[in-house]
Amino acid sequence: MIEPILPVLLFVAIAAAVSVGLVVFAQLIGPKRPGAVKEMPYESGMDPLHDTRRRFDIRFHLVAITFLVFDVELLFLYPWAVASRTASGIDAAVSEGLVSSRLLVFFSVLFFIAMVVIGFVYDWRKGVFRWR
Amino acid sequence: MLIPSITTLAALIKIGLLVGGLMTAAAYFVLLERWIAAWVQDRRGPNRVGIPLTNIRLFGLGQPFADGLKIILKEDFTPRHVDRVLYTAAPLLILAASLAIFAAIPFGSVLPPLGIPGLPDPISLLVAPSLDVGVLWVFALSSIAVYGVLLGGWASNNKYGFLGGLRSSAQLVAYEIPLGLGLLGVVLSSGSLKLDVIIHAQATTGIWNVVAQPLGFLVFVIASFAEAARLPFDLPEAEQELVGGYHTEYSGIRLLLFLVAEFLHMITASFLIVILFFGGWHLWGVTGAGSEITWIGAIVRFGIFSLKVFSVIVFFMLVRWSWPRFRFDQLMNLAWKVMLPLGLANLVVIATIEEFRPQLTGSLGEPFVSLVTLGAPWATFFLCWITAGLLSSSKPDNRPILTAGPLDIEQELVRGRR
Repeated sequence: MIEPILPVLLFVAIAAAVSVGLVVFAQLIGPKRPGAVKEMPYESGMDPLHDTRRRFDIRFHLVAITFLVFDVELLFLYPWAVASRTASGIDAAVSEGLVSSRLLVFFSVLFFIAMVVIGFVYDWRKGVFRWR
Repeated sequence: MLIPSITTLAALIKIGLLVGGLMTAAAYFVLLERWIAAWVQDRRGPNRVGIPLTNIRLFGLGQPFADGLKIILKEDFTPRHVDRVLYTAAPLLILAASLAIFAAIPFGSVLPPLGIPGLPDPISLLVAPSLDVGVLWVFALSSIAVYGVLLGGWASNNKYGFLGGLRSSAQLVAYEIPLGLGLLGVVLSSGSLKLDVIIHAQATTGIWNVVAQPLGFLVFVIASFAEAARLPFDLPEAEQELVGGYHTEYSGIRLLLFLVAEFLHMITASFLIVILFFGGWHLWGVTGAGSEITWIGAIVRFGIFSLKVFSVIVFFMLVRWSWPRFRFDQLMNLAWKVMLPLGLANLVVIATIEEFRPQLTGSLGEPFVSLVTLGAPWATFFLCWITAGLLSSSKPDNRPILTAGPLDIEQELVRGRR
């Protein structure tokens, strides 16, 4: 069962090994010259004012949530996109009587997209996408 | 001791070729980019470094080796104010992810039958040919790049780095949706998530998706520029305003990992554009969809594929030196208010065409069907173009917003501010 994804796992392992190997190699052969100035955060040569980790704009949070909604909704469409053109997909389901007709599936998907659009318009009117 | 099977061995060889090839390609594309920059700005690019200890310059072809050697020999410094674990994890994560994306991306067609026992013939030039979810794998891993950037920016504990990380995550996240929408049209018309099947579908019909789905192509290309964080969308690192963005605090090899990962993203994006919209190895009259492959055929396909990818990469570089950078609010407006609706429109049109194609072919003649199936997307393309042009203001608006746009009902908000 592991056969289809074995090359993928191998690739991930090798990619990780290459990155770790490069860093370890450079750590071993690179020079080490610590200094007080190097320890400071770079702030265009000024003394740093305060710690970086403070509150930041809520919009980044809103964008993250909106992204989550839209991306998950998009993911639901992939199975349909594949099934609508493959022999063992919607056509098979129709001939086995699982779905009454192809058109029903199509219009369900259109309805689903319409729901996404409604959510999108709502977000827009709420000003989620406004950045000034 | 586990003895690797012959298919595993073949996969290992392909992985070795890909990893080595990609790292070298990234290094040489940096050189190419500097040459193109020099050419655009009418000056001389790097042309000195050749073979060491001789006077042979070789047009500067030794430059990538010199650069790589130099950066490895530099100090890889970890400042005390950073979060040590995340600071090291971020570049490792981003490079490993951007390399592993290529597990699902074909880098050619197939080899002719070799006749090695135990190996399925013909060998396809793809690391994981039996992976059914190729496109999803590519997407999943390119999303992991967001983590690398965000972790790097956060762990650096540097204001430039933090701002760069924030901007970058918002940008990558925003453009992933148009990217997915553009892709969905292609998946819909070829009925598979495997990238080699998508190429084959275009080779069989002879109509590249760039012709069949112009709007999807536009959305996908713009989104992939943004995903690769290339100019005009390079706000995460905007040298002039954020010094280096999320990798401001990095030095030595870990900086190199970030830079290589960034170049790999661009190469990935070029591969995807060529595979999804320009028919991969297919070229009319030269390489068809035939299944019997000779060595010459395989090499020609590989050559055409590489040439296309190379041209797209050169296009990426030319765009970098011809366009100014967006402002961040323009960037987000483009993603959410222009690209997302365009992507949805494209999806609906393509879905409708694909749904009714069999009925159309049944009731009308073949030429009329192609007229409809190619005409409708182009009509949508121009319609959407004109609509987007009419709805967006033509004046540069640097002032605070005082009047609402056609779809905004935030007048209260706007008025309140005034």
